[in-house]
Amino acid sequence: MKKSALDHLLDWSGRILLAAILGFVLLPFVVVAIASFNDGAILSFPPKSWSFRWYANAFEYRDFGSGLVNSLRIAAIGASIALIAGAGFAYVFNRYDFMFKRLLNTVLMSPLIIPNFTIGLGLLILSAAVQLPRSIWLVIAVHVVIVLPFVVRSVYVSLKNFERRYEQAAESLGGTPLHVLLTITLPLLLPGLISGALFAAILSFNEFTASLYVVNQRTQTLPVAMYNYVREYADPTLAALSVIYVAAVAAMLLLVHKFFRLEKVLNVD
Amino acid sequence: MSKRPFLGWFASPSILIAFGIAASFLAIVQFSLRAHVPGALDPGGFTLDNFTTLWKTVYGKAFVTTVLLCWWTALFTLLIGYPLAYAMVRAKSARLRSAILLISLTPLFLGEIVRTYSWMIVLGNRGFLNATLMQLGVIDRPLDLMFTMTGVVIALVHFTLPIVVVMLAAALSHIDRNLERAATSLGAGRIRCFLTVTLPLSIPGIVAATSTAFAWTFSAFATPQMIGGGKVQTISTLVYQVGFASFNFPLAASLSLVGLLFTIAVLALFNTGIRKLERIGAH
Amino acid sequence: MLTEISAIAPQDTRDDVAVQIDGVSKSFSGTVALEPIRLKVRRGEFLTLLGPSGCGKTTLLNLIAGFLEADEGELFIDRDLVTQVPPHQRKIGIVFQNYALFPHMSVAQNVAYGLRTRRVPKAETAERVREVLALVKLEDFADRRPRQLSGGQQQRVALARALVVRPRVLLLDEPFSALDRNLRSAMQVELREIQSRLGLTTVFVTHDQSEALSMSDRIAVMSRGRIRQIGTPSQIYDRPENHFVSTFVGDANLFAATLLEKTDATASLDIGKTRLSLTTFQEELPEPGPVTLFVRPEQCSLTGLDQPGAIAATVALSVYQGSYAELHLDCSVAENGRVMLRVPASEAMEPGTNVGIALPERGPAIYTTTERET
Repeated sequence: MKKSALDHLLDWSGRILLAAILGFVLLPFVVVAIASFNDGAILSFPPKSWSFRWYANAFEYRDFGSGLVNSLRIAAIGASIALIAGAGFAYVFNRYDFMFKRLLNTVLMSPLIIPNFTIGLGLLILSAAVQLPRSIWLVIAVHVVIVLPFVVRSVYVSLKNFERRYEQAAESLGGTPLHVLLTITLPLLLPGLISGALFAAILSFNEFTASLYVVNQRTQTLPVAMYNYVREYADPTLAALSVIYVAAVAAMLLLVHKFFRLEKVLNVD
Repeated sequence: MSKRPFLGWFASPSILIAFGIAASFLAIVQFSLRAHVPGALDPGGFTLDNFTTLWKTVYGKAFVTTVLLCWWTALFTLLIGYPLAYAMVRAKSARLRSAILLISLTPLFLGEIVRTYSWMIVLGNRGFLNATLMQLGVIDRPLDLMFTMTGVVIALVHFTLPIVVVMLAAALSHIDRNLERAATSLGAGRIRCFLTVTLPLSIPGIVAATSTAFAWTFSAFATPQMIGGGKVQTISTLVYQVGFASFNFPLAASLSLVGLLFTIAVLALFNTGIRKLERIGAH
Repeated sequence: MLTEISAIAPQDTRDDVAVQIDGVSKSFSGTVALEPIRLKVRRGEFLTLLGPSGCGKTTLLNLIAGFLEADEGELFIDRDLVTQVPPHQRKIGIVFQNYALFPHMSVAQNVAYGLRTRRVPKAETAERVREVLALVKLEDFADRRPRQLSGGQQQRVALARALVVRPRVLLLDEPFSALDRNLRSAMQVELREIQSRLGLTTVFVTHDQSEALSMSDRIAVMSRGRIRQIGTPSQIYDRPENHFVSTFVGDANLFAATLLEKTDATASLDIGKTRLSLTTFQEELPEPGPVTLFVRPEQCSLTGLDQPGAIAATVALSVYQGSYAELHLDCSVAENGRVMLRVPASEAMEPGTNVGIALPERGPAIYTTTERET
């Protein structure tokens, strides 16, 4: 097919626009990477001399270490609880009619609309009212509330696409409901369950605003520790940590992409 | 025959969590109706004072600022996100599509802090942008980007972009390509085909993406807090400040409550819009 | 081969009725899917539920399988009341349209599934799986995954999986519709052979009338949640009891007529200006008045316009079909304005030719016009 001059113009302006937008998306990460190797304690562009000292500092700073441990624990426990509760709810919501079904759904999905600072404030006030200590379990509770809707969605989509005939075939072959659940339903839903839990864990690991309301010195998460660092110090330590963060997330995404194809997970295929 | 196996077992954990959510909502409502006792964390008696206090300029200004931020962010995110989503779905090379997907989605999994901090380095007075522009001689004194609406909007657009791209790409990928082929076969050029077929069919996706952009911007805290630095006061930063600087939790609660009601109203508006649009494109 | 069959054949032969459906009905949120149905499936019989989509045939199958619960009525399998029995205790076998082979299990594991749920000892399970895979000629595919098989092979696995548990009834839910045409007829023959060798009571659901006619011992034609006629394929084709069955099964020419007089099975009627006297197979004819006269294309023939009883028509289109040609005729007294009949390919005619249609004196049926429905 022969292309007209207009076609060429469209093609090229499209390419330039795309490159500009991708540049905008990548810009802060490139800049932060450059800044992380800046030797001086005060940022300057371009850096006058280079060093790795801020990376060393990032590893040594104790709040980051304890924040990472807290964040990993909270993400693991929170995602597990959200997976159990969310998958269970998605199942009954998909399969059954029961009293207050819609109300329950509205309440559980409401954190998608309620701003995180409101969720944090609400659970903070609630825990104070019932005199719960501000332990790590309070942070986990906040995270479960926030990530649950995403697990429910992910599992619900898998269930909607699930071929009920598999279960019916298994039932006709003598499988009790529990046997069918364990040998047919669960194994076939596994990709949806895993991606839901993974998504929940990532969201929880990154959650900042609501956490800020409910953590204390002992339970602070990595994002909160990072926020507190920026407020106190202006050196590029956080730039170094950001680079590690970006690299870790990108590596993980590439891995997920290999196994699941992100297009499928995000429904843009 | 047991017609609903596992109902109790599977529903119980989520019912428990739903009670927790409902209780914390009620806690906010309850606190918003209590008096603030300076110096004490426990609230006083019941009163409507918190809501009358909200009429003060500082709170009204925060509302206006928040709405403006939402509007500008949504607008620019859409303008940037649509071409990106379009390229992500339609690029001819599969590798390019994958690359666009990974680049535009990675920020989604980075959290607010890393992204906002990176923008602080870009936008600061001695930051990347100002340093570069000054060295190139384009400007002779730094642009005011930190602590301004402009800076906050730039960072918020970056923050909101990935989710908007995902939603637009989902909408675009579900448009039947044969409709475009039909338009082309009827003599429509590429621009006309886009304007008369693709764009109209993606409007429900655009509205949905706009409403999500709005909700994200509204609840954004780290970006206005760190880049606005107290100069750009939004509802989210104000709630935090009222709560943790003055320990006036009743006022923080009423502020959040009004903010929440506002969000719900706006999203409901979007929702009716989406429903109407879906009815027009009735399948 | 004999031992293999005896191993799989159902042993219970207490009486002659394998499935009995007594006034079973079903509605979905106020919409009636199935009016109260009465139906007996004989032991070893191949019974087909035939009807257009939405006629309730799949609902009925799901009720027999236990995937749906009847609103009222009772259901017996081998004289056991199973109305309230969950599917996993009904001891039935089912093959679905898309086979529903468990994708995470091998062929052998799929087939063994029903034996595992019944806690059949391992050695016996292996033996029976081997036997039934031999029966469907898939011995060499035991370790494959379902997606590695062709459509026909997948269907055999589905059949083997249903057969290995020695079901009391085999239910088939449009199992051939996913296969291409040649494979379909091969599989139909194979399935019918296995079914009759095992003497397995089978309920088969399809919307394909030729499939129903060629495979069934009996056919129940359904529409709008009711059974409209039940009988052998030739009874259904040659003696449709009502307007719906006559048009749904096979091709039909319908004429608007006025019934003048009736005595037993003989009727005198007017079609346009033509007066005819006919003998039908029907036991009861409608009351005199406007009626629909039904004639199969092969019962019609061409004749001169001047012949007595000839109905005037004009050739609109002649469709070549290989061994014969279909003549589509414009005819003012036909109910939809068209009549179709088949002639040897050599006798095809040019459009525009005026012809006369001769109706047989025996064979056509007369229905009340108001009964038209789809």
